[in-house]
Amino acid sequence: MIRKTRRRRTWFAAAVLAAGSLLATTLPAHAETGVTTNSIKLGITLPLTGAASPGYNKIGNAMDAYFKYVNDNGGVYGRKIQLIQKDDQYSPQLSIAKTNELILKDKVFALVGPLGTANFTAVHKSVGLQRRGIPSLFLNTGFSGFANKKSYPTSFTILPSYAMEAKIVAQFLKENFAGKKLGLVYQNDEFGIDALGAFTAAGVKFDVSIPYTSGTQSAATAQTWVSQLAAGSAQVVVFFGVTSATAPLLAVAAGAKYAPQWILGSVGSDPLTLQALGVPVAVLNGALTPAGNPSPNDLTDEYVKQFQEINTKYNKAAFDDYVLQGMNLGLMTVQALRAAGPSLTRRGLIRAMEAKGSTFASVAYSPLGYSRTSNVGHTGYYMAVMGPTGDRKPFGGTVMLYTTDSGNGPVVKSNFKRPAMPAKGLPNNS
Amino acid sequence: MQKALETLLIGLSTGSIYALMSLALVLVWRSTRVVNFAQAGQAMFSTYIGFEIASRSQIFWLGLIFAIVAGAVLGAGVDYFFMRVLFKHANSGPAAVVAPVIATLGLLGLIRSIVGLTWGGEFRAIEAPASKDGYTFGEITIPFSPLNTLIIVTVAIILIILAILFQRTNLGLALRASAYAPEIAQLAGIRTARTRTIGWAIAGGVGGVAGMLVTSYNFLTPYSLDLLLVFGFIAAVIGGLESMAGAVVGALVLGVGLTIILNYVGTSLVFIGGFAVLLLVLLIKPDGIMARGKVRRG
Amino acid sequence: MESWQEARCAVVNESAKKVRKKLLLFIFLGWVLLIIGDRLDELRVYQGAQIAMYTIALASIVLLTGYSGQVSLGNGAMMAVGGYAAALTLNNLQTPIWSAFMMAILVAALFGAFLGLAAARLSGPYLAGTTLALAVGLPAIANQFSFLGGEPGLLFDVGFPPERFGEEFTQYKWYFWIATFIALVSLFITSNILQSRFGRTWKAIRGNSLAAELSGIHSSQMKILAFTVSSGLAGLAGAVLAMTISLVAPGAYTLALSFALVTGAVLAGISSLPGVVLGGFILVAIPEIADALAASLGNQDKLNSYLPGLFVSVLLILSVIYTPNGPGENLRKHFHKKSAH
Repeated sequence: MIRKTRRRRTWFAAAVLAAGSLLATTLPAHAETGVTTNSIKLGITLPLTGAASPGYNKIGNAMDAYFKYVNDNGGVYGRKIQLIQKDDQYSPQLSIAKTNELILKDKVFALVGPLGTANFTAVHKSVGLQRRGIPSLFLNTGFSGFANKKSYPTSFTILPSYAMEAKIVAQFLKENFAGKKLGLVYQNDEFGIDALGAFTAAGVKFDVSIPYTSGTQSAATAQTWVSQLAAGSAQVVVFFGVTSATAPLLAVAAGAKYAPQWILGSVGSDPLTLQALGVPVAVLNGALTPAGNPSPNDLTDEYVKQFQEINTKYNKAAFDDYVLQGMNLGLMTVQALRAAGPSLTRRGLIRAMEAKGSTFASVAYSPLGYSRTSNVGHTGYYMAVMGPTGDRKPFGGTVMLYTTDSGNGPVVKSNFKRPAMPAKGLPNNS
Repeated sequence: MQKALETLLIGLSTGSIYALMSLALVLVWRSTRVVNFAQAGQAMFSTYIGFEIASRSQIFWLGLIFAIVAGAVLGAGVDYFFMRVLFKHANSGPAAVVAPVIATLGLLGLIRSIVGLTWGGEFRAIEAPASKDGYTFGEITIPFSPLNTLIIVTVAIILIILAILFQRTNLGLALRASAYAPEIAQLAGIRTARTRTIGWAIAGGVGGVAGMLVTSYNFLTPYSLDLLLVFGFIAAVIGGLESMAGAVVGALVLGVGLTIILNYVGTSLVFIGGFAVLLLVLLIKPDGIMARGKVRRG
Repeated sequence: MESWQEARCAVVNESAKKVRKKLLLFIFLGWVLLIIGDRLDELRVYQGAQIAMYTIALASIVLLTGYSGQVSLGNGAMMAVGGYAAALTLNNLQTPIWSAFMMAILVAALFGAFLGLAAARLSGPYLAGTTLALAVGLPAIANQFSFLGGEPGLLFDVGFPPERFGEEFTQYKWYFWIATFIALVSLFITSNILQSRFGRTWKAIRGNSLAAELSGIHSSQMKILAFTVSSGLAGLAGAVLAMTISLVAPGAYTLALSFALVTGAVLAGISSLPGVVLGGFILVAIPEIADALAASLGNQDKLNSYLPGLFVSVLLILSVIYTPNGPGENLRKHFHKKSAH
């Protein structure tokens, strides 16, 4: 009896030892996911097709073109950047599915420029980005909820938030359109409600306020918006929505001969895309829009000039606001990767953003706010007016930059000067 | 008062486009006892062809003609190559109920994939043949434009042509006979199979017109006609699936009903409004509005 | 009459034995899946959870269309009802997870009963059209009422896996465990229902409604029952779907989902319950295969967006034409031919 028990115990011990060593040998040597000696894999989810895609579907290719340019010039410490684009059609469910693919199948190192407020909210929770420690750089959304470092410790915004934008527009309304009847059309989700909240906090009262549900924008629904705006005699109409909603709104208004002063939020105001969607360019003439970048046609700007050269060589698209945005995202990403050093880890990237991100070169005029306590990127806008060809010029002739925060801080005029564009558009920071 | 008039006019305009789609569906139903979900796919394909011609020639009407032809050819082709094969094989077992529905759904997906792979998913626009600016009466501009008028007129012309075709010509008689009593029609010397194919061709052409008209004020994508299919189908069911007049009436009722919901209730409830209208009609008259007593049901 | 009572006893014993055998089979299946789940990487485990979800949804189609012969294109809408019911229960009533799933079943079944009441007089294309309208219209309601979360939807968080499973036990593995457990239980119950007199009655109605009525079957009552049970199943599947993406939103329950369900059911055999497992596999595998194909062909956006659709459509058309009752039927026919010799 005792012999049997001892034998059994020995068998058991041997089995445990064998299993343990098997397990130990199968544990891979720890290499950071998505990084090899000669490559870095990055992922982006954005609407390449679908209702929200006009315009935005150019951003990924623009980023990719910039990365190719950098790869051709030595990459980042010898590593070539590979960008994997996934089409999520602006649908949060698809964003979740595609991000899962990026992380579990493609095994990317980090996410860059994921687009959409509802999309990233869903992804962050569902995929568990925080728990996995996956950096999400330069979220392509202005939702001020993301500016919360505690809730989103591994994410970094780049655009000024919609709350910031609304506060600046509110200031502008007070300074230039006091006493006029105001109308507002906004997307009825966190995107538009963010702006609405800030307007209310700033004391702006809209005489006509029209929410629309994302996905329902069309000529038919735009007709109801215009009817309501005209019925309320709104003289200044502020719009916070995507480009494919701006288009029917402007087109229908033109058809109904309703011509208020348009103030188009930065998201849905790209003139080229609007024209492609059927908006007569004459309607755009005189429209105001908060802008963060110089006009994409302004060749006197060193960033624009350099990006245009890269675009001509590496990208097949016409150079516009979206291409400019995409290339800038590329520029920022490369600086971030460089700042993280040659031994690239996810945690290292996050720390580098916190420590050095605020000094990065970017085409936008406002300062960057990255720090150990803040994941906020750009913090300001200037008001621009569209000309007869839709091209953007600063309102009042020169760029008058306003900066603020997403909370109750004041809106101040800023004299911030951007860092210079790195030589040949190739960062050499560390 | 103005809002009510606007609602009515817009409702008639959108309803008339649904009428084309529901007419096409009823045509196919009566001749083949199949609900052709692929009708939207055929219409979409025809519209892409029409778009190509219209954007190259800058003439909308030329594009429309090509769309009609493409739709007719595709419709005939679907019946000849697809439906006949389907009926030969899938006619027994529990799936016989479901097979034609699924098959046409599959065909819809197939056409959509081919279109998407060929043209891509970008938004396309077609130059409208009439102005989209609303009519102005002094101070007031209503959201009803010359384009809307043109749509209603075009649909009306097509309906008249079809009515003449069906009521006054031999072909029309053959189409009706083949649909109503195929065996007897065959005995009377009508080539029912060929007649059925012609019916599909007409349906396809009509669908092409619907697609072009819708796209004159909306964007064209491989998904842009899906709603047209849903509403066209609802309209056909409301009208009773058995009569073409019913298809038109049902479509106008649906168009006006949906616009009422859009303007007076809320934009998000439009779709469920369609469901409500449909359910209401079917609860009161399970065979549709225009059904008269005993009608043959699938 | 003793022999008759004996015969009845024997029949009852037989069916009880069958049920017990099935139970053992399911438990064995569960154990196998558990072990497999431990071996797979996170992506496959996540897909396993999706397959489990699809099997539940497909079972609802098999019951409704395969057995009771009612063509519904609106099961996606019932999934939405279940998903929202689960999320609202979990978020507002702070009840344990399993009660959220129960509410999903109950609320969806209730909706299904109403739908069945309205649709009992309809058949064929009229029923298809009504359910189509429902599939398109119901999810959009979420945008109208703010407590339903609108387009971005509501959170549905079943929580982290229990701590005693250790650090390595990922969130997705937890979903896999829950989804598989729910799938096994619901398939077991559904299988029993389908093999009981309910299933036989449904098949009778499907075959010949008039003859069934003459045999004393209440056609419309049974049809409504079919809708109720089927919707309950669909609602459960909807809640499981919500769990896997931690979200309920209208965009997760589109018309395309309803179409995909009918597609999967036809591909796997519309009246075969075991077929739902195959159907689930197919629905998850096709996007994978299409993605791989698109990647090997150069990875343009067009390919990525439209190749899966092409696959599914061709597969669907071929299967409807050549194996309309599922691959199982053809195999059986083949067997019969052989044994007839």
